Formats: sequence, structure tokens, C-alpha cells
Amino acid sequence: MFYFLRKIGNSLLLIIGVTLLSFVLMVWFGPDRTFGLLGKNPSQEQIEQVRRQLGYDRPFAERYLDYLGALATLELGYSDSSGEAVRAVLARTIPVTLALVLPGFLLGNLLAIVLAMLAAWHRGRALDRVITGLSVAGMSLSFLVIIIGLQALLCTPYGVNLFPVRGWQVDGFGSYFYYAFVPTLSLVIVSLGYNTRFYRAVFVEEAQREHIRTARAFGASPLTIMTRHVLANSMAPLITRVLFSIPLVIVSGSLLIETYFGIPGVGRTTFEAITNGDQPVLKAVVALTAVSFVVVQLLADFLYRLFDPRIEQAVADGGGAAV
Amino acid sequence: MRCFQPAALILCLALASCAEDAQSPEQIGRTSAYRHAMDGAPTNLDPAQAAIIYANFFAVNLYDTLYRYKYLARPYALEPNLAEELPQVSSDGLIYTIRIKPGVHFVDDPAFENGRGRMVVAEDFVYSIKRHFDPEVRSLGAWLWDGRIVGMAEWRDNGANYDEEVPGLRALDERTIQIQLIQPFPQLTHTLAQGFSAIVPREAVEHYGPELSLHPVGSGPYRLASFDSARAVLLRNPHFRAEPFSLAREGYDPERQASLGLEALEGKVPPFTNRIEVEFITEDAARWSAFVAGEVDFIKAPVTQFDTLLASRAPPRLKPRFEQRYHMRADLESGLVLTHFNMSDPRIGSHPDSDQDARNHALRCAIVKAFDWQKRNEIFYYGLGRVFPGIIPPATPEFNPNLDNAYVTRDVDEARNLLILNGWTEGNLPVLEYGLVAGVTERQMFEQFRSFMSDIGYPAEKIQPLTFATYGDYARAYHNREVMLITTSWTMDYPDAENTVQLFYGPNASPGSNYSNYDNEEYNRLYRASALMQPSQTRTAMYNNMNRLVMEDCAAISGISRTLILLWDRDVAMLPDRSFVGGYFFRFVNVGAETGE
Repeated sequence: MFYFLRKIGNSLLLIIGVTLLSFVLMVWFGPDRTFGLLGKNPSQEQIEQVRRQLGYDRPFAERYLDYLGALATLELGYSDSSGEAVRAVLARTIPVTLALVLPGFLLGNLLAIVLAMLAAWHRGRALDRVITGLSVAGMSLSFLVIIIGLQALLCTPYGVNLFPVRGWQVDGFGSYFYYAFVPTLSLVIVSLGYNTRFYRAVFVEEAQREHIRTARAFGASPLTIMTRHVLANSMAPLITRVLFSIPLVIVSGSLLIETYFGIPGVGRTTFEAITNGDQPVLKAVVALTAVSFVVVQLLADFLYRLFDPRIEQAVADGGGAAV
Repeated sequence: MRCFQPAALILCLALASCAEDAQSPEQIGRTSAYRHAMDGAPTNLDPAQAAIIYANFFAVNLYDTLYRYKYLARPYALEPNLAEELPQVSSDGLIYTIRIKPGVHFVDDPAFENGRGRMVVAEDFVYSIKRHFDPEVRSLGAWLWDGRIVGMAEWRDNGANYDEEVPGLRALDERTIQIQLIQPFPQLTHTLAQGFSAIVPREAVEHYGPELSLHPVGSGPYRLASFDSARAVLLRNPHFRAEPFSLAREGYDPERQASLGLEALEGKVPPFTNRIEVEFITEDAARWSAFVAGEVDFIKAPVTQFDTLLASRAPPRLKPRFEQRYHMRADLESGLVLTHFNMSDPRIGSHPDSDQDARNHALRCAIVKAFDWQKRNEIFYYGLGRVFPGIIPPATPEFNPNLDNAYVTRDVDEARNLLILNGWTEGNLPVLEYGLVAGVTERQMFEQFRSFMSDIGYPAEKIQPLTFATYGDYARAYHNREVMLITTSWTMDYPDAENTVQLFYGPNASPGSNYSNYDNEEYNRLYRASALMQPSQTRTAMYNNMNRLVMEDCAAISGISRTLILLWDRDVAMLPDRSFVGGYFFRFVNVGAETGE
């Protein structure tokens, strides 16, 4: 219990640190909205008035404390660009992004684990070389090229023209499949190379350990060895990679996909907030990302202990987690 | 490969069956929906924020304005919209009286009592214009009427109380509006055809607060069904006033417009399309793919596709395979691109020392002479832009096509001579700071500028980019007079050269729209006098004089109007417009019948 309380305390400090750093960046290096909110031929008085309304004339500490207060009460204000309540913006866009990226994220990881296990088991042989080669090829391709290529191939008369180039008018599984298929395929292709390479390295290292040779000597089947011994003992790095990808996948990883496929998700909203200097939206997204990372870290700690009894024991003995 | 082929076939069949089962909205109601692609997106649908063309498109469709531009007439001409007729103007040009049409209602909305839209009255217009002067609204359109309406400034300074009357803006009765001006403003009626002047009911503003931006409540031909960062859907307002379409009234020109299929619409009542789907597609590749895949009916063609599309440039003509499928219109933008010299910068602009001032003038003129507009046009605008001398672009009625092109004709020898004769050497030339927003095209334009200057002996290291991360930062810098060379574009608000000559009027200097901070007494005198005049030959002559002064003083490298290639499906009968008609054309779009060969 004390361990988790300590973790939560550390997490709060982390949130304050992240929000402070990002607030400094937003305030001092973020776009200036003043002239975007003024008409043509503004007077100096009108400029000052807008700067006052935006809070640009207030001391940094005061603005930061207001920001923390807004986060604590979830009173996130209104978007400077659209006038929409920031809470409504997030409530509208986050589910779209989750529906968009989760299938690709899960498939990209599950397929990579399967391919990596195959490559690790056949290490140094033809199958390993093929999988590794394709992974490197996948890593070398730009995300943009994959998107544009798949659009041309699957969504236009130059290819099979079965899916829409863009859009997100989802009202059931049929329309969901119709709109999500090509974006999901793009996400799977782009993530498969990186994931496969990473997981292969982890599995190869694990497969070289003594207990694996023992299992082989006992005559255990390849499937049993790879799943019950190699995979189970590789869970710590797997959990780290998967969990810590989630906040980035949700917020920034979906940016290109949402932009090119015309999907109104949180990635696109964040990008527009950055370019427009829409600080209320930006502050909320930054805070959300920071909180997501903290939650993910807590979840990772919990899962490490679940999968690796040595950590549980170390905590019980009074030490810390050693992952 | 043997395994791959059947597998691929099975996959394709599976995908096809899934894709067919999936009910794509593109396939539903195709016959009645018009699908319009925009290369940008509005973030806010409040008419007070309708500063960009994309927002203006929505403002004029969701709300009513007193006036609009005739759908087909070129040059552009005003037409009553909610107003019964053009305004009655007093002989001194100070009092405008406007009657609005009877029986027009706002759309039904929870903002109203019982949710039923009430009748639009003159007081709604008064309220809507007052909103622009309420500091809480942060209007982007107040500048149109600022300092022009009697009592408005006092109303604002006294706390913007909507229950207080503004002497110069009154509803005389339910249907009569009276505007009293401080001094004549001949462009007033044009401003009443802009989205900024759209009529908003007070109940909706009070009901939705800042979220009026997402809940438009107007009396325009369409109402909003949905809106997000990727797409908006408009549905026909079933209660929109029934005014039969008249080709003659809209300025139909059979010689130029016979192929558009508009004749069949004569006498029918717009809006002709029940549903308009607007897709916001900023990426060129995605916009083009969506168009060729038939997912949208209209696009502004990306410059990157001009080679694919066009069989010839002068005049722009589609290749036969595209001509069979699409209509095309090559539309000169209503505006210009130019580079301002910051005249308040003593390194290149005005200088208290008369000798140095003369040398700076020669330096600016040398830069103007070194600039190669033909190459700029060729490389960045596919050679389709229209280069013209000065600051009065071709889209204005006052444009003079016979003006001497020397100002925009490159002359390297003359540029070199100007530098030599005025004592400029590689050693004493100032560092030129060229402002730009970080981006590939902007950087390429800078490099091209640097190469032009190298040709007259300007050392490359003395031409430096002043890069800004966002346009907002760039705008802040040039409004604060911190940029030496400011390349920017100006989109005109109304078809009157007053809108561009004011860019060089001294009192409009930064933070106003005179980014050059040009201040010439003779120019200012001419501007003040012409600003009060109705269109006439005398006024045009005064504009031409102002244009000449800017060129003589070499206050700007100017200019070019870009050509937009608009493409739309042959089964859509319409004349799209990105200029002054703008979004008003939506109500006249007719989807269905194949049009013109």
C-alpha cells in the first residue's frame, strides 16, 4: 500500500513537472494569437485589449497557477479558435481516435509478436532473414508514402477503388469497417517493422537462456517454449513498449492518419491547436498526455509485479521495483 | 506467386463484399447531395469571426445578409438579398435607408421560445452590427465600420450595452434600417454583402454564448446538420423565402456560360440542393485522390496536378480525358501577392538624412528591377498567375490593363547602375532580412529571391531569412515593424480598388494593414479625397495616381494575382466562385443532370 502511495506521490510531482515545462514552452515559444483575433487595421488599444483578454499581460506564475486550478477542477475553458468548450472538444475527438487507432495498434503489436517469435525460433535461417528484411523495409518506408500509396491502391480508380479516400461517417460496424480499414492497414504496416525488430531482439535474448535449453532438452514443443517460457519471461520489456506507446499513439501517432483520411480525432485537433496557438486546447491535451503517462506508469508497475514475482518479493523485502 | 494470386483474389473479393455491405454515405442520397471540397477549414461559424474565405462560405449560407453579389455577373454586381432593394442614400451620402423583406424567419432552434424560429426584424441587423463593437465578442469584422457610424464608438466606450441605442444605427420600424455615417463611405453596401454583416438573433447569442460558433441560428438558405474539423453538412432550410431563379437578374452571359447547364433552372426556386457536404481537405494529394475517386464534386485543383490536368496554359484548357468528365474554370484571385519594403526601417526605408534617403530609394528600386516576376510566376504559380505593375489588381474594376509594365519587368543592368550611381558597393549594402513562415515553399521563394539579388551583385550572405514558426508570429513581427521585407498576400474584401490602395495609406501603418509603413503626403491626400467618392473616372484617376506614387517610391515589389483552377463534375450545374460571390453560389447548385459538352 505504502509502495503505491509513494508511486502516486511521485506521479503528482511528475505531472507538475511536465505541466510546468510544457507551460513554459507554450507561453514563451507558442504562437501569438493576438493578430489572429484582430481584424484589419487594429489600433494599439485594440491590440492591448486582446492581449489582456488572452492573459498575455499577466505574470507567469499567476497564469500557471490558474492552469493548475483549471486542471484540478476540470474547468478547461473554451477553445480560442472555435469557442467550443474544451471538455466537449476532448469528449468528441478522443473516442474517434480510440476507435481509429486501437485496432491498428493491437494488430500491429500482436502480428509483430507472432512474426518475432517465428524469427527468433528460426534465428539465422531463411524465415528469420525474410522477416527481418521485410521489417527493415517497413521501417524504411515513410508513413506518408504508405498512406498515399494505400489510398491510391485501395481508394481510387487507379487501384481497386473499394474504400473511401477519407471520411468518418460511422454509424455501425459496416460503416466502421468501410472507413477504418485503410487507416488501420496503414497503421499496421508502419508499426509492424519497428515492433517486429524490437520483439525479435527481446525473444532472441530470452531464447538463449539456460532454462530454454533445459526446456528443449526435456522435449517441449516449439509452441510451448515460445509462449510459456520465452514470451512469459519477456513480458517486462513488452509491457514497457506497449503501454508507453499508448499515450503517444492516441495523441500524436494519429496525427498523419487523421489529417490524410479526414478523421476528426484528437490528433488533428492537437495539431490545429499547436499551429493556431489555441492554448486552452493545447494545455488540456498536454495535461491529458502527462496524466496518461502517469497512469500508464502505475499500470506498468502493477503488471511488472504480476508477471515477475521477483519484483513483488523485492518490494516485500523493503526494496523498490528494479525494472 | 502461384499462391499469391488466388490469395490476392480472395482478399479482394472479401474486401469488395465488406466494402459493398458497408453503407457508404457517399452512396446514400448521391442524387441530391452536393459534395464540396475546401482546401482549408473554418474553426468558428460565428459571423463575427468570418474573416477567412472558408468561414465566410458558411456565414452567407447559414445566415442572411442584406445584400449579395449576382451569381453570374462579371464584373461583380450587388443584388438585394434580405433587403428589398438597393439602399436609398441621402444626397450627402451620409444616410442609408434599407427595407428588409417581410415574413422571413430564423430556423427553428431551442434558443427561441417554443423552439420556433421567429421573424427577422430590422432590430436584428442593428444588434448584429453592434456585436462587432462589443469587446467581449472579439470581432474580426469591426474594422469595416469602425469610425464610420455615428455614435458607435461612444456606445463601445460606454460599455457596449445592447439596450442603449446607437444614433447612427437604428431600426425605424420592424422592416426599416437606417444607418447614419460620420462621413461618406461609398463601399458601405459592399460591406453588407459580407459574412461579417450576417444577421444573428440575440436569443441565440444569449442561449449559446461562446458556442454560438458551433450552433449557427440564421435565416439563410441552409441550416447546419453537423460540423467538425474534417467535414460539415448543411441541409436545405425548408422555410427559406421562395424567390424564383432568374438568369437575367443574376447576370447570365450565354456566350460564356451556356455550357454550364443553368438554363434549365430558370424559374425554379433555390436552394436547388437539399444537402451540401463540405469536406475540409488541406492536403493536396488527399484532395486530388478524393476528387478522382468521385468522393467530392468540386475541388480547387492543386498546382502539383496542373501538369496532369492541363493541355494548354494560355488559355488554360483541360486534357480531353478530363474535359469529358469535368467542368473547369480558371479564376483569377481577387487579390494580390506582393513584398512590402518596411519604410520605417532606416536601413532600407525612409531616412531623416535626405542623401541617405535617396540612396535607400535607389536601393529599393534596384531590388524591384532585379526581381524576376516571370520566373516567380513560372516556378511557383505554373505560369498561370497574372503579373501586373503596382497595387491595383486585375480583379478590380479600376484596374488599368494599359499600364506600362516596366515596374515588373526585370532589368539587371539598370538595377546594377542604380546601385553603382548611388554609391552602393558589396561592402556597404545592408543585410536584407526577408521574413517568412517556416515551410518548404516559403524557403524556396526566399532562395529564389536571393538568386535574383545575386545577379545584381548583392552578396548572398547579406540576404538573410527571418524565419517564424507560425503565421501568427510572423504577423506579430511585421505588425511591430520588425521585418524588413514582408511577403504577404491580400485578399480583397470588396471589388473596389480602395481596398488595396488603403494598404499604403499613412495612418493605416502598422499595426494597421499598411505593412510597408509607407507615408507619402501626396498619397495620403489623394486617399482621403477618393475615399469619400462614389465610383467615377475622377476617382479612378486618383487611384491611378496613388498607384504611380507607390511605384515611383519603390515601396513594394508588386505584384501578381494567382489563377485558381476550379474543377467540378459534369453532372453538377453551377458556376463556383472563390471570390466575391463566394459561398452565395451554394444555393444555386443543381446536382443531377449531365451538363454541357
